[in-house]
Amino acid sequence: MKISGENAIAAPVAQVWEAILDPRVLVATIPGCEQLEATGTNAYAMTVSAGVAAIRGTYSGSCVLEDLREGEGLTMRLKGAGAPGTIDATVLVTFKDDGGRTVLSYDADAVVGGMIGGVGQRMLTSVSRRMAAEFFGNVEGVIAHGLPVAAPVEASVSAEGTPVYSAAPKSSRGAAVGGDSFLAGVVVGGGLVLAGVVVGAVLGRRR
Amino acid sequence: MSAKLVGAKVQRVEDDRFVRGNGRYVDDVAPDALHAAVLRSPHAHARILSIDVDAVLDLDGVHAVWTHEDLEGAMAEPLPLLIPHPTLTHGRTQYALAKDEVNHVGEAIAFVVATDRYVAEDALARIVVDYELLPAVVGIEAARAADLLVHEDVPGNVAATTEQSNGDAPAAIAAAPHRLALDLQIERSACMPMEGRGVVARWDPDQGRLQVWSSTQTSTGVRAAVAAKLGLDLGQVDVITPDVGGGFGVKIVHPWPEELLVPLAAQRLGRAVKFTEDRREHFISSAHERAQVHHVEVGFDDDGRVLGLDVRFWHDHGAYTPYGLIVPIITSTQLLGPYKPGAYRVRFDSLYTNTVIVTPYRGAGRPQGCFVMERTMDAIAAELGMDRAEVRAANFIQPDEFPYDHGLIFQDGRELEYDSGDYPAMLEKIKELVDWDGFPAFREQQAALGKRVGLGLACYVEGTGVGPYEGAHVHIETSGKVKVATGLTTQGQGHQTAFAQIVADELGVRFEDVEITTGDTRRMPYAVGTFASRAAVMSGSAIHLAAKRTKEKALRIAADALEADVEDLEIVDGVVSVKGTESSIPLGTIAVLSNPLRYAFDEASKAATQFNVGDPDKPPVAEDDEPGLEGKDFYSPPRSTFASGMHAVIVETDVDTAEIRILKYAVVHDCGHLINPMIVEGQIHGGVAQGVGGALYERMAYDESGQLLNASFMDFLMPYVTEVPTSIEIDHLETPSPLNPLGIKGAGEAGVIPGSAAFAAAIEDAERAVSPTFGITAMPISPSELFALRAAHVPHAQEPK
Repeated sequence: MKISGENAIAAPVAQVWEAILDPRVLVATIPGCEQLEATGTNAYAMTVSAGVAAIRGTYSGSCVLEDLREGEGLTMRLKGAGAPGTIDATVLVTFKDDGGRTVLSYDADAVVGGMIGGVGQRMLTSVSRRMAAEFFGNVEGVIAHGLPVAAPVEASVSAEGTPVYSAAPKSSRGAAVGGDSFLAGVVVGGGLVLAGVVVGAVLGRRR
Repeated sequence: MSAKLVGAKVQRVEDDRFVRGNGRYVDDVAPDALHAAVLRSPHAHARILSIDVDAVLDLDGVHAVWTHEDLEGAMAEPLPLLIPHPTLTHGRTQYALAKDEVNHVGEAIAFVVATDRYVAEDALARIVVDYELLPAVVGIEAARAADLLVHEDVPGNVAATTEQSNGDAPAAIAAAPHRLALDLQIERSACMPMEGRGVVARWDPDQGRLQVWSSTQTSTGVRAAVAAKLGLDLGQVDVITPDVGGGFGVKIVHPWPEELLVPLAAQRLGRAVKFTEDRREHFISSAHERAQVHHVEVGFDDDGRVLGLDVRFWHDHGAYTPYGLIVPIITSTQLLGPYKPGAYRVRFDSLYTNTVIVTPYRGAGRPQGCFVMERTMDAIAAELGMDRAEVRAANFIQPDEFPYDHGLIFQDGRELEYDSGDYPAMLEKIKELVDWDGFPAFREQQAALGKRVGLGLACYVEGTGVGPYEGAHVHIETSGKVKVATGLTTQGQGHQTAFAQIVADELGVRFEDVEITTGDTRRMPYAVGTFASRAAVMSGSAIHLAAKRTKEKALRIAADALEADVEDLEIVDGVVSVKGTESSIPLGTIAVLSNPLRYAFDEASKAATQFNVGDPDKPPVAEDDEPGLEGKDFYSPPRSTFASGMHAVIVETDVDTAEIRILKYAVVHDCGHLINPMIVEGQIHGGVAQGVGGALYERMAYDESGQLLNASFMDFLMPYVTEVPTSIEIDHLETPSPLNPLGIKGAGEAGVIPGSAAFAAAIEDAERAVSPTFGITAMPISPSELFALRAAHVPHAQEPK
């Protein structure tokens, strides 16, 4: 299923680009992101806690940013799996300067499987759009004010020696933004979240 | 003499407990049982690289966790292909737990047994499966294209290509004065019984016996499957089917993986184990039906008579073929309905897709066949400018042509030979019931009010009561109560009422003294099952025959005891008497006399002492006799009996919103003699409701990756009582079947069969009044699809009127 959308961040492209490639920013801004582990250049293993309607759970997965064209765009490959379902997505993200602010467009092609694929479908489009908006809003906040004090990002080193970024408990701005249970997070495999995606399905429903 | 009960509207005795919530279902059995849950594939097509269950092993409350590696012997082999067919050259079935590969979302991968379902599901969440995703084949188009394969070793995704013909259809079409070609399709749907699948098993180590309760349509089938897979003798396995909350076909498959895994777990763990599926599991791991694409070529004369009919169709059977080719074979034969084309050829491909398997769903291939044939009839009428009913009448098999042999082979491997029917009389009845001739005036009147209405008609013939056999055992207790057992199961058809009516009439006992047991292999180990509208015909006949045998024995003993001639005896309200005299003996007393014990246990035994039975010089039980007042018999017909019916519906299609409203629904139905008209009418009501669902609402929304997007009752639309016509007008025709002693035919599926055909015709009729080229070729149809169709045919339809 495909989903696309765009969000604007009140900061110059260069700054947004830098923020989005910074794992400390990512872990603090991805709604529901509990842990982000660098597994290579621009490659992460992540743990995200999210829910669509009544279907909640923790997803672990990977997110790889590739085909980086500085200040222009990148491709994100996401994979996640948890008890409520699975996600496999390719997201094209483009950056565009719009008079000093940055317009980010995303174009996702995703397969959502498991319970969330069958039961949460009607919600996915709207939930993913709100998640995307929330994420970009968080990024905007970090750029403007720095990393939130209430949510210190802890960096440590994994057993394998790779850096691990953990969000402190309750750090997720997502939880605050998505106060109601419906919003509190979405979805599927963390990365999706990154692009906001999570991919909706309603589009494809009545073929 | 009591009035005959067969043919009377006797209130269903089972409703009291159903309505009060006192039904006893599989999930009510063994409340202390351990609970099983199944890890199901989230992917439509994937290779399983590894399964890691380590995190589950030490979980508190988990008693077992199995993957395919834990299965042995026959359990590790694929599940049985229940109905092989010579043309099913590439049949494939799944494993109880997936081995190496999964082929649809929902396929069973791992099995956990825990103290309760919560723990079991938590355990499932900890199992880590590594998949290599494979592209999914979804839908008939993708399956036919065969760019991707479901099973690597099945070329073209084709499990079977089957052809039947009678005469040279292509030549007849080529020579016909008129020709038409149509492409028609029906979507996927599924049975949605209120109670999903469920199974409970208990192993008795002292007796070495397994007891299984299953929500199934065939307890003997489950028994045979469990015994074979677990390496037990049939005599070690009892299968009991308690109350079942609906079947509609989906519960005919046996065994489901869970029906084997639960008994195996009970045996290995020495504890009762239970599996109760949830609704999502029903959507993604039971069975669906209906998806077919058809191409029709037809040649006909100036009167609309079909000279040649050539049908090619493609059937989507999902990922595996456990139930063989039954559904497409039924479509290919039952498509003919009440008509006799000059020549007929039908060919179908049964195709694999990465979706849930297909098994018969009430109607079983007939709704598709009926849709194809009736759309063709309507197309012929339109082409010739004839009345739609007249075209049908021109093609009917006539009453004096029975038995009518179509020259084809039916789903049971027997000739497609109709036993009886009267289609012209039925057409007259339906025309009258729906006021066919008055409709043009009604349309005009509605048009004047700015409303758009249409009338549709659809006719069908349904082969019911397929063999091979059913049996019954009738036992009269010394209390006079009559205990009857038949092996097939009950899913709400009112068997306890209808069968008791048959027994009461034949034996001359009070209806309330008859108790019917179904689906318990301890009581009747020889049985087939409840499907194909066969229970009344098969078990009804067997019960009638068994009651007759019991009566013969009762009268023989009574004649002896009363010193009278059998011809002079009658049985009324359970008492045998010599006609016109005071001399009598209750059946309970005869039961005592039939079993010459030494002891008097009860009143009946005491009463028996006043009678002397038998010759004092001979053994108490004669050589050719048995003790006990019992009778057992089996009924096995030469072939199916063919019920028929016609439905007519009047709809209004909203001029602006394209909403489809049902104004009138009329049914004429012929299932031979009626045992209980109230039950038959209830079956028709339920069938019509399901027909409305199939025509206007139900579909399986798969996305291109094989995810079922509407796997819940929030998203899968079914008609509620608000969507079903408030009144369904029913008229019966009774052409008795010559094939069974009661002259009956099946009635269970009938109501659903012509739904899509009748609605397509009615909606098309409504729209053609304003848009002559409008046509419906695919069902179901939603208001938005109707809206889009309007736009495609008359672009100005969207403009304000």
